Amino acid sequence: MHELSIASAVVDSVLEFLDAHEVKKVLKVRLAVGELSHVEADQLCFCYTAITQETAIENSALEIERVAAVVECPSCSYRGRPKYWEDALAAAPIPTLECPNCRGAVEPVEGNDCAIKTIQFVV
Amino acid sequence: MIQTIEASPDEIYDIELEHSLLEANAKLAKENRILLDRFGIAAIDVMGAIGSGKTTLIGRLVGRLKDQFGVAVLNGDATTSTDADLIAGQNVPVVQIATVNGCHLDANLVGKALRKIDLAKLKLIFIENIGNLICPAEFPLGSRARVVVVSVTEGQYMVRKHPHMFLGADLVVINKVDLAAAMEVSVSDLAADMHKLKPSIKVIPTSCKNSVGLDELTSCLLAV
Repeated sequence: MHELSIASAVVDSVLEFLDAHEVKKVLKVRLAVGELSHVEADQLCFCYTAITQETAIENSALEIERVAAVVECPSCSYRGRPKYWEDALAAAPIPTLECPNCRGAVEPVEGNDCAIKTIQFVV
Repeated sequence: MIQTIEASPDEIYDIELEHSLLEANAKLAKENRILLDRFGIAAIDVMGAIGSGKTTLIGRLVGRLKDQFGVAVLNGDATTSTDADLIAGQNVPVVQIATVNGCHLDANLVGKALRKIDLAKLKLIFIENIGNLICPAEFPLGSRARVVVVSVTEGQYMVRKHPHMFLGADLVVINKVDLAAAMEVSVSDLAADMHKLKPSIKVIPTSCKNSVGLDELTSCLLAV
């Protein structure tokens, strides 16, 4: 349940923003969650709703946008989507760090992070 | 990065913030690393499920290394101090980090624990993470290497079930290989799964019971 830690970090940041600005009401907080980060969107929304109760941002919406993974290969210079492990046992394809081009080891360059993109509010 | 705006009453605004939620931990992890590097200490983050054998493995490695140079252990555990007590029996500095409700260690907790021991006498610190195969992956601690300990008793499919954990690891220990036949688990298939996910990952099969793989693991950790 590290989603609770992430949700707390979102709430802290938004409340900090409220302290510093003249805001009547926060309507929506939009997050960008990377495909390679281990954050589950539904659980995060659930935690957000739970911990914003009785705070200044109660009833604000949390919107989560997925950011696709991009990897880079130091050996063959491939840059693009990762190779997926199409496993019959898995519910969804699993992104791997094997180069789709030369089968070497790639490094993730995008889709690792979890960030607040925008805050929508009424003044 | 916050833009300044001229507000009119009841108007709706969208402000771009670009504020990373993982950055606070990553920044503290970097500070831990700088502190450790200053003292020439290698910290090893040991992750894995409950019962995979992290504490026993760390205990065996401490036993092999403590006469050569200073070794300390930070034991993360939600509630008990059983693991810390076990290691403390070897007369090395041990700090127990009780996370209570927390499902992972974070760089802040580790930073606090590092301030409780005399770093001047140390060359190696094992950080035993909370028994959990998901959450710790997202929270770097400032270690020089991240090790995942899995055991054959967890079954054949743990790599496919928890791929994220292995994507961020440098080394995987397949522990309790003495039980592989009884569990009907193929160690080579497990290793193949790990390499399929991350070709650069180092995999070492071990058994604390029969001292299998401990020499290789020791020299691997000394090289980080």
